[in-house]
Amino acid sequence: MRRFIARRLLASVAIVFLAATFTFILIHLAPGDPFSAAAENSRITPEIQAQWRAAYALDRPLPEQYFRYIANTAKGDFGYSFSQHRSVGAALADAIPNTLLLMGVALIASFAIGIVLGALQARARGTALDRTLGGVSLFFYSMPDFWVALVMLLIFSVWLGLLPSGGMTDPLMYDYWGFGRRMQDRALHLVLPVASFTLLVSAAVARYQRSAMLDMADQDFVRTARAKGATERRVVVKHILRNALLPIITLLGLAFPLLLGGSVFIERIFSWPGMGRLAADAILTRDYPLVMAVVIIGSVLVSAGNLLADVLYAFADPRLRRS
Amino acid sequence: MTGRGGIEPFVFSHTPEWRTPFALKRIMKTYLRNTFQLVSCAFGALACQGDASDRNDPDSASATSAAGGTMVTTVGADADFLLPPFVATVQGNQIADIVYERLAEPSPALNTVGDDGFTAELAEKWTWSADSLSIAFSVHPRARWHDGRPVTARDVAFTYDLTTDPATASGDAPLLSQIDSVTVRDSMTAVFWYGKRYPEQFFDAAYQMRILPEHILSGVKRSELRTAELIRKPVGSGRFRFVRWVPGSLVELVADTTHHKGRPKLDRLIWTISPDYNASAAKLFAGDADFIEYLTGDKITEIAKYPRLRTLSSPSLDHVYLHFNLRDPKNPARPHPVFGDVGVRRALAMAVDRASAVQNVFDSLGLLSKGPMVRAQSLADTTIPPIPFNLDGARRLLDSLGWTDANNDGVREKNGKPLAFTIGAPSSSTNRMRMAVLLQGMFKEVGAQVTLKNEEMTTWIQGMQSGKFDAAMNASHLDPSPVASTRQTWSAASARNPAGRNFGRYANPRFDALIDSASVQMNPANARRFYRQAHETIMNDVPAIWLYELVSVAGIDRRIEPVGIRADAWWAEIGDWSIRADQRIARDSIGLRPVAR
Repeated sequence: MRRFIARRLLASVAIVFLAATFTFILIHLAPGDPFSAAAENSRITPEIQAQWRAAYALDRPLPEQYFRYIANTAKGDFGYSFSQHRSVGAALADAIPNTLLLMGVALIASFAIGIVLGALQARARGTALDRTLGGVSLFFYSMPDFWVALVMLLIFSVWLGLLPSGGMTDPLMYDYWGFGRRMQDRALHLVLPVASFTLLVSAAVARYQRSAMLDMADQDFVRTARAKGATERRVVVKHILRNALLPIITLLGLAFPLLLGGSVFIERIFSWPGMGRLAADAILTRDYPLVMAVVIIGSVLVSAGNLLADVLYAFADPRLRRS
Repeated sequence: MTGRGGIEPFVFSHTPEWRTPFALKRIMKTYLRNTFQLVSCAFGALACQGDASDRNDPDSASATSAAGGTMVTTVGADADFLLPPFVATVQGNQIADIVYERLAEPSPALNTVGDDGFTAELAEKWTWSADSLSIAFSVHPRARWHDGRPVTARDVAFTYDLTTDPATASGDAPLLSQIDSVTVRDSMTAVFWYGKRYPEQFFDAAYQMRILPEHILSGVKRSELRTAELIRKPVGSGRFRFVRWVPGSLVELVADTTHHKGRPKLDRLIWTISPDYNASAAKLFAGDADFIEYLTGDKITEIAKYPRLRTLSSPSLDHVYLHFNLRDPKNPARPHPVFGDVGVRRALAMAVDRASAVQNVFDSLGLLSKGPMVRAQSLADTTIPPIPFNLDGARRLLDSLGWTDANNDGVREKNGKPLAFTIGAPSSSTNRMRMAVLLQGMFKEVGAQVTLKNEEMTTWIQGMQSGKFDAAMNASHLDPSPVASTRQTWSAASARNPAGRNFGRYANPRFDALIDSASVQMNPANARRFYRQAHETIMNDVPAIWLYELVSVAGIDRRIEPVGIRADAWWAEIGDWSIRADQRIARDSIGLRPVAR
């Protein structure tokens, strides 16, 4: 297992390096540069724009810019963000905890609810409950995420006035409240973005879970367990559910990068200052260093997610562990 | 009505308002919110007992005094910088304008010639020299930086020096290019020197610079100032002082109670950032914000459903035009195969029913454009007749130019080449895209085939800068002064500069000469006369079809009482905006109390 992990780690380094190089080339091939948009501003003369480009070495040949970037990144310096007007490190340090909080809660909620719903549907296969839950989950699964988020905002914030319309905390009162009220405020601000995300993702998880459980229900070992006199609860939880978790682990591995990558639409609509928004803005403004940093973090997480999924497979399925 | 941090009490208002359907809806909302909060507390995860201090009024003195209250503005993007020489975004400008001060401010008429209409700000008074080649500004003796240090003439001279220093690379430097130097006569008098007399001498000195503190910024190397951490915490001398900037979330300012012009009537200003426009508007509708600076047509209709809110319209300095590329995108040495001919451009202009197009896209929120200047510019002449809408005339003109539909496919040809071109628009602007669709239909009526190309903003700008476009739905935010923006967009010098803003490469020496003449007229009436001639010239050359000016419609909570809206800056008089004591809500009760962060 250790050798397997070491091999995967080495491969991950190569993947991250390739992703960074590929992104560097792609983002520089895209039209414009970080200072192109200044042309919309009548006050910024072409001479000033040229001066800015020179100050950040954007007037240097591309290979030189690339090697400079790689050298600095290797030293842990991600550079200066043109859109945030501060170091990339500072921008990431602000955004990462925000996204971790949002996506951590959202992913836990999505998978927990999805697994429970999927299991319920599988147990009640063919019944009205199965059909109703399947219909509802299909409905949400097919909805665009920004639409669901906007509708949630409209209903719970604008029409009913139950929940705040965006941000992580109340922009003014938060700092004047005591600890308890602050926690409540944070929780209230989490409800809508988490609920929007959970509605969409848990629907997908439930469908996977139902299908996986139904596949397992017909397996020989399940029949054997029943024949041995195991209780239905034990058969479902110990034999069917555990084995049906494998596809969900794959899904979890794929969703793992969201923990830091965030969700662009959810973060935009609920004004959540996280990584998704940061990445989207960085791409639109051609903020090369920030785009690169986000891609590097993303590729590290994709590699880590896949590794985590492989390790979890081994724990969930003893046959894989032995092989 | 509400205690800070507590749950909003469920009480009937003593005003007759509670009898209205709106009040009932509000009561229901309060009830639902309270119930929801109680339920959420009951789940235990939320330690709802809070602190006893939560329920105390934080600043009862402020709550009952004439001044007080918090105004929350929702904006679509974060500020770029808060230090004036580097600010390029609207949000950055709003905050920088409020934290820092100009020497004098123009009146809403936005006169830029001489000092007519200007009111003293940081300067207490000014004196012109006998030969008008210098202006001496006396700094207000009670003016203080927000750290308590007095503002002096040295700060004024320092600001000029810093802004014009090439090492600073400030976008404002070219705007000060006609000022020779700024010297310090005595500790409170700064003198601006000029090599020649020109109409906007005073405007350049007073409007184009917001005065910066020398004692804070002099320690930073100019070439490193853009990236210096300290410029993220600006120390100004304006009526509100900077409190905090949480990137991507909010900016907060608080009233400077010792300001030489008097205490602002509001305690606190907050900008919250919502990148999604619908979400931003939702903040206003939900009561989480008091002000949004721009409402689209559908949101204006929606605002009528909220008696708490109203609209606030003002003229703006923004206009939109269809910008023709006069050079061949494949070979700029050659004229454009379609737009190289002024007759074709004129015919296309005649084919556009601008009135119905503007009505269709904006209803009453757009004004027909009057040419390369906007109504809010004091020197604009709005009486120049545009090229009239005349479909038959456009067809006849194209026929006479040899563009005919020989094969009856609905598209005219000349020498085997179809009358076909592309109109580009940035995908971030729904209005411009909608207008482009209407233009496509109108041009089709005269046998021109238009392909629409919507591009992401940076790509779109890059396409225009590189000259690789046929026609573009271009927009400009103009300065109150027409000189700089007119030259940058339409002068031959800008056309020759590969990175200039004259993307269509229009050049006419007569136009340039008239603008030069206009820019040296000391009498506004004479300046207006020259601008009129210049605009008649350019409108005859049709390098663009000027389409519409935007009417800026903001959404505002009725409890806010605004004053002095100016076309270039709605926030210009925000120090005098107020909230009546009986209109205040929970967030208004914070007062000036600082918080330990």
